Amino acid sequence: MTAAVAGTPTATVAELRDRPPADVVLSGVTRTYGSTTALDALDLHVAGGEFLAVLGPSGCGKTTALRAIAGFEVPDAGTITVGGRDVTTVPPSKRDMGMVFQAYSLFPNLTAADNVAYGLAVRRRGRTERRRRAAELLELVGLADRGDRYPHQLSGGQQQRVALARALAVAPQVLLLDEPLSALDAQVRVQLRDEIRRIQLELGTTTVFVTHDQAEALSVADRVAVLRAGRLEQVASPDELYSRPATAFVARFVGTTSAVPAQLRADGQVDLLGTTRPVAGPVPVGDVVALLRPEQVVLRPDAGGRGRVVTRTFSGGTTRVTAVLPDGTEVAADVVSTESTELVPGTAVEVAPTARPVLLVPAGDA
Amino acid sequence: MLGTLPFFLLVGVVLLLPVVVLAVEAFRVTDPVTYEDTWSTSAITSVTTGAYGRAYLGSLRLSLVTAALGTVLGLGLAAAMLSVRRGRLLRRLLLTASGVLANFGGIPLAFAFIAAIGNAGVVTALLSDLGITLGASLYSTTGLALVYLYFLVPLMVLTITPALEGLRPQWREASDVLGGSGWQYWRRVGGPVLLPSVLGASVLLFASAFAAYATARALVGSSIPLVTLQIADALSSNVLVGSEAQGKALALGMVVLVGAVMLVYGWLQRRASRWSA
Amino acid sequence: MTAVDTAAGLPAAAAAVDPGPAPTGRRGPRRAGVRVARAVLFTVLGAYFLVPIAASVAFTVRDRGTGGLTARWYTGIPSADGFAETFGRSLTLGLLTVAGTLLLLLPTVVLVTLRLPRVRRVVEFLCLLPLVLPPIALVVGVRSVLSWAPDHFYGTPLADAFFALQEPDLPWILVLVYVVLALPFAHRALDAGVRAVDLGTLTEAARNLGASWPRVLVTVVVPALRTAVLNAAFLTLALVLGEFTIASLLGFRTFPTWIVEISGASPQLSVSVSVLSLLLTWGLLVLISALDRRRPRTTA
Repeated sequence: MTAAVAGTPTATVAELRDRPPADVVLSGVTRTYGSTTALDALDLHVAGGEFLAVLGPSGCGKTTALRAIAGFEVPDAGTITVGGRDVTTVPPSKRDMGMVFQAYSLFPNLTAADNVAYGLAVRRRGRTERRRRAAELLELVGLADRGDRYPHQLSGGQQQRVALARALAVAPQVLLLDEPLSALDAQVRVQLRDEIRRIQLELGTTTVFVTHDQAEALSVADRVAVLRAGRLEQVASPDELYSRPATAFVARFVGTTSAVPAQLRADGQVDLLGTTRPVAGPVPVGDVVALLRPEQVVLRPDAGGRGRVVTRTFSGGTTRVTAVLPDGTEVAADVVSTESTELVPGTAVEVAPTARPVLLVPAGDA
Repeated sequence: MLGTLPFFLLVGVVLLLPVVVLAVEAFRVTDPVTYEDTWSTSAITSVTTGAYGRAYLGSLRLSLVTAALGTVLGLGLAAAMLSVRRGRLLRRLLLTASGVLANFGGIPLAFAFIAAIGNAGVVTALLSDLGITLGASLYSTTGLALVYLYFLVPLMVLTITPALEGLRPQWREASDVLGGSGWQYWRRVGGPVLLPSVLGASVLLFASAFAAYATARALVGSSIPLVTLQIADALSSNVLVGSEAQGKALALGMVVLVGAVMLVYGWLQRRASRWSA
Repeated sequence: MTAVDTAAGLPAAAAAVDPGPAPTGRRGPRRAGVRVARAVLFTVLGAYFLVPIAASVAFTVRDRGTGGLTARWYTGIPSADGFAETFGRSLTLGLLTVAGTLLLLLPTVVLVTLRLPRVRRVVEFLCLLPLVLPPIALVVGVRSVLSWAPDHFYGTPLADAFFALQEPDLPWILVLVYVVLALPFAHRALDAGVRAVDLGTLTEAARNLGASWPRVLVTVVVPALRTAVLNAAFLTLALVLGEFTIASLLGFRTFPTWIVEISGASPQLSVSVSVLSLLLTWGLLVLISALDRRRPRTTA
């Protein structure tokens, strides 16, 4: 898989890399189907050369947003510009984009090489150029020896690699990825995910990647946009999204959180599980819910402790241990596996936070 | 296995044996004086010329034209049906109607058309009240083609709909994003992917039209040169000794022609679907 | 505009339709053009398919004497000379053909699926053959075989059997040929049914519980394939009730040959019988589609 990384870049890679990056701007994009609103005045800015993941549960409008950028959906309101050019009503074939679909999008009657060269063929480029470019792109995705295969002779992962090569063959301004990994096996998924990221870094093409899998989004993207009910919930780097979620929805959707009741004092400190911690932002005084990450919680075996271990799930280096408090609150903690041997279900434990909660929300909103 | 024996037995005796017998006995003639059977190719050679030859040509022309028209119209209708968004009810309605109409051949169909645009037909009377006469007679080759399409178009809709539904929307979308026009998509992807199914369906239409007998008999008697009508005539004429052999030769000719079409079809099919599993 | 001209104008309308899956969310002039072409196609073809049926009904309910409406052609059907005899015969032939087809094909399809996948292609090919083999050619061959009885076997038990097959009151030879003609439709229905239910697991479970093969067939396979079996049965019945070529050329009187027989003397009666037989076929096929819809879609 490293064929194109080592050595001098091929002509195709050089051409792709030398394109000035284009940004994508959605302003106030709205799309409704009958009574359901798929996109609700969505504002989104994808910087040139950026890898942006659009993340959200099914039905949040992320696919509609991508299809609007591609041109398959015409917004009811709002505009879409690419590199400063308004493309809101431009048909998909005139948008200069590359797109990889969920699955089964390869033309079944064409070989892998012909699939890759399709965009050049419809642009009436010469046979020599088509051949050269198809070969170079297949090499880029690690399938140099599969050019003469038909799609049904390729595995799911290989098909998606060809689809990626096909999308890149037209040297698109923007690369759109519509859950391209969701139909693949877990192992292939991780492998291809990393490869997509490697290729994107190498080429610097502006990329929008739609997924419902938060791990996928966090691991590859420069920034992640979380969508909920057609609106943008938060857009930030993976790091920031995880450590400083803007809303309870983001905190819960990205990573694991435990919701623990707490009291916010007038002096800006919060009483949480018997400890007192400072709070950053302004939150109304009174009963609140603190959202804690599993690595922000410690569990100490203590016969007089208020918590009781209910489950433990081994996952290699760490073990996820869940304890329940007297009021029924469940708190998850990640414990180094070698230090978790005592924490078996039924053990009485003391539960304490080790850091400031990622988010405090008013008690009613949790 | 024992359980499949009755199946193979019946197919062997009622389907394959008659065809073999046909192939052999078409080369036997009975002497009109001595009633001796002898080997001869006279029946076979007689069916390729004269009235019989014209009957083959008439049948071939009628079935090729109606199969082609039926293919185009059925494809158009199926595509139009599938292109209606949120048209699930329409789809179900049309498919059920197609299932019914594709089976609506034979005698009732002929009578329905006679009642509509026959000499004493309802539509004929209606039009003649308005001072219009029909451009072509129902009792002609054109009329017969019009009637055949009545069951061929639904048959096409029934057989091609699954193939059309098998065209993935992603293919069209991928082609669009890559800069392809609608025409380019159909020439490079949609058409080639659909071709094997369309070929198969049109061969089925051809075979149906070529073999149609009841509709033609009820509509035109034997006034139009069609090989099925000639076979029936040969078999029912008990006066002419040797007409039975003529019938066998004519029938064998039909089997050979259909067989040839199937061979061409098989070859085209293999070429057209090289890319599939 | 004449009816013939209308049909000739159709291909242009069909070619104008973009036969693609609905392009999603694209609006504008191109889409409107597609919609107009589609509407024209539906209207013209709709008229083409409805007019003959409507005309048949009009033809048979119009009283030529008074100019009013009459139902006498319909009420007169049951007592018409030859109706009871031929319809009864066709119905009997139909039921026998259904029974024969199922008895023959059901074990074959099941066994081929479970035990003999090697002969699958052969069975499929043989079952498709009647679809392309002209029935009239088949019937000429059948006649030749039947004529062996007087010509070659005269006086032997085989000849007696051949003659018994051709008993005019109940011609069993028609049942045999009709079973062959029904093979393509029945096979497709049953094969689809077998593929839809996981027959392998079902029968394995039953066999593990100690059931014998015939018992498995009756208690497991048939209930699991109920819809498919009904489907095949109805299609077969509809085929037999409308079959003219074979019966006519073998010289038997069945319901369809009777309709032709009376058409000269009483066109209205023959058309009204046609309308009724059409309705009967429709009823059967609509019933099939209703059954199809009721079948739970367990496999995606």
